[in-house]
Amino acid sequence: MTLSNSTKLDIQNLNAWFCEKHALKNVNVKIPDKEVVAVIGPSGCGKSTFVRCINRMHELIPGAKASGKALLDGVDVYGGMDVMDVRRKIGMVFQKPNPFPNMSVADNVVAGLKLVGTHSKKELAEIAEERLKSVGLWEEIKDELKKSGASLSGGQQQRLCIARALAMNPEVILMDEPTSALDPASTAKLEELVKKLKNEISVVIITHNVSQAARISDMTAFFYLGELVEFDETRNIFEHPKNPLTERYITGRFG
Amino acid sequence: MDILSRRGRERLIKYICLLLTVLAVVPLLWIIGEVVYNGVSAINLEFLTALPAPFGESGGGIGNAILGTLIINAMASLFGIPVGILTGMYLSEYDRTSRLGSAVRTVIESLSGVPSIIFGIFAYSLIVLTVRHYTAIAAAFALGLMMIPLIAKATEESMKIVSNDIREAAIALGVPKWVRTTKIVFSIAKGGILTGCLLAFARISGETAPLLFTSLFSFYWPIGIDQPMASLQVLIYNYAMSGFQNWVIKAWGASLLLVIIVVSINVIVRRFAKPKYKAGV
Amino acid sequence: MPRRNSRFFNLQDSVFKYLLIGVSAFVVLLFITLFYMLIDRSFPSISINGLSTLTGTVWNSAAGIFGAVPAIAGTLFSAVIATLFAIPISLGVAIYFTEYAPSRIKSVLSLFIDLLAAIPSVIYGIWGLWVISPLIKIYVQQPIVGAIGFIPIFAGPAYGLSIFLASMILTIMVIPIISSLSIELLGGTPPSLREGLISLGATKWETVRHVGIPFARLGIFSAIILGLGRALGETMAVTMVIGNSYLWPFETSSLFAPATTITSKIASELYEATSTLHIASLIELALILLVITLLINTVARLIINRTIKRGYY
Repeated sequence: MTLSNSTKLDIQNLNAWFCEKHALKNVNVKIPDKEVVAVIGPSGCGKSTFVRCINRMHELIPGAKASGKALLDGVDVYGGMDVMDVRRKIGMVFQKPNPFPNMSVADNVVAGLKLVGTHSKKELAEIAEERLKSVGLWEEIKDELKKSGASLSGGQQQRLCIARALAMNPEVILMDEPTSALDPASTAKLEELVKKLKNEISVVIITHNVSQAARISDMTAFFYLGELVEFDETRNIFEHPKNPLTERYITGRFG
Repeated sequence: MDILSRRGRERLIKYICLLLTVLAVVPLLWIIGEVVYNGVSAINLEFLTALPAPFGESGGGIGNAILGTLIINAMASLFGIPVGILTGMYLSEYDRTSRLGSAVRTVIESLSGVPSIIFGIFAYSLIVLTVRHYTAIAAAFALGLMMIPLIAKATEESMKIVSNDIREAAIALGVPKWVRTTKIVFSIAKGGILTGCLLAFARISGETAPLLFTSLFSFYWPIGIDQPMASLQVLIYNYAMSGFQNWVIKAWGASLLLVIIVVSINVIVRRFAKPKYKAGV
Repeated sequence: MPRRNSRFFNLQDSVFKYLLIGVSAFVVLLFITLFYMLIDRSFPSISINGLSTLTGTVWNSAAGIFGAVPAIAGTLFSAVIATLFAIPISLGVAIYFTEYAPSRIKSVLSLFIDLLAAIPSVIYGIWGLWVISPLIKIYVQQPIVGAIGFIPIFAGPAYGLSIFLASMILTIMVIPIISSLSIELLGGTPPSLREGLISLGATKWETVRHVGIPFARLGIFSAIILGLGRALGETMAVTMVIGNSYLWPFETSSLFAPATTITSKIASELYEATSTLHIASLIELALILLVITLLINTVARLIINRTIKRGYY
């Protein structure tokens, strides 16, 4: 069910709970390398839970549990590596842009490195410039690098957050409805960016907007009530979905 | 105007409340006025830098008391601020409503209600009686202890207000928890924490009872932190009660200095921060 | 990319966590130690004097007699009177602030209330001692003694430094506590409740009376209790204006007589106390004060926290 690329993330028998509520039921999916995978489904279907299980953010919620495996290049994210490393290799961008308000734009980009590493100032400045360029922000704010990260517009903030995540050189980047808080112009810019990103890394993007999924993704995963109902090339999902639930959701009859 | 009518009653109440408000505010203005009026004449260079003259003689100054207050306050802050901040950090970021967390919260609430003289007695019992002499360290201990609940509360509240989105962003980057707590959350909260520290400092600058049997008083320059030390507050107490006019005037002068410190800190804090942390409550 | 490995970070995290836990536990330990030290150092008095500290009316350190009733009476009386007088004034301030004050006045008034609380008590003391005491003596006490001095509580001679003056000064010191909390509580009245009444044509006073105060009533009650707690524990201002004497209330019940409180007794005697029993008796007084104020403050804060957090009375 994948294109020609190899598997980056092999998810096996993933189950997740919020206390007693069984939120994800036996999810098995292979996320390919350097592709954009859209995760769609109605509210409460488990898409956010699924994605947060990948970088182990789900377990931060009190009472939350998960079981199963998520193999990143063959190493299990649950147990095979330290959780901090998981998050460095699998980056995340959130629905509401969350740049660090106490840091400048430049510092925000390299925050993940500066706070824990031993890079020199010069190296950090170079990385900041490179990443800002790759998200298309460099031209817009190169003269305002010292301004607080929170002083940018919504769309700029979100691209800043993407740059920040990318600065860690992750293997996968997860995006939880990254455009839902943005205006159409910023949304368009961000979609362009996502399409560009797949040349470097795998992208898993949650979206409640099915046309967005159709526009930018290579593969689409449809979730319903905690189960992965269908996972196929986007073209197939939208032109001839195999599952009636999928078809009904895509055509807007529910969700 | 019919007093019994609703309109009339409303106006009456309004004026009564206004009157009561004036009644409450007049003492403040009166105190500050008296302190300025009586104290201003005492302040000159000699006053600020010289040692007290022998009893009965004119002249002399309160230089030792000024220095003593600075030293004691500094020592108290060295103790109270780090302990308060770390405790507040624990409550905000690390406590999962455990037994320790609720015990700490209870202790902090209780400590805020303890009369200041009790802190003095604690320091007296713990330190002065043990080493058998009066010492400024005991005073710093008592005052530092008084700072802890104020600063811990300010820290906890300032850090809790930081949006959880920010913490999520830090977690998703794989930043270790201690870095997230200090370099991100604490850094964002530092305004509120600084406010708390300033107000706590203003508070202990005025506290006298804890000093009465710890640092006591001295007519000489501070010779060591393990010895008695002069302070503005105890000076005001001793000199005002002495009845000796030269000293009473100096007490007013010292009061003026104290009032300037306390009022300035309160005004500055208001200008730059939301005054959530009030000195007296 | 130069980066330390995760095991190192996990170690750092553990160290930091235990540092925080250690410091917090230390604070709890300090509190426990406070109790322990007070009990330990007052033990000689508790074991030798027993209950007589609480029942005796004579305090004679040379003779080893330590009856503290006049001091306890002074503490209770001055604090209760001060709080009672402070209530209407504080409520007046709070109502004026929340309902009637124009916004320019609000910020100034708010500053003034904070300053009232922030002024060190020793400055209240010097002001009370050198400014108010002579005025009170001449313009208030002496006339009253002249007019109704046959009534025991107004009997002369009119000492300026007296339980009367101490209660007055305490009133001023309690006002900011009750008013600032009351302002916060009245301000927390749900707008919908207020608007409902206002849209029916109610005046501001009627709104406060029928919505604001009932809503905040429990919180205001605990603010009053907190103010009482503060008055009970106040030391310097009281010590400087109360006269420090055992005359009141047993040798004379006049309000214009000098008296003493627990705090002023300790403040004025501890330095000169030399015998262990004397010191222990004073510390026993401190222990009594601590227990009373802790009880009062705990009750008050429990009520306040629940009121403010839940948003209903």
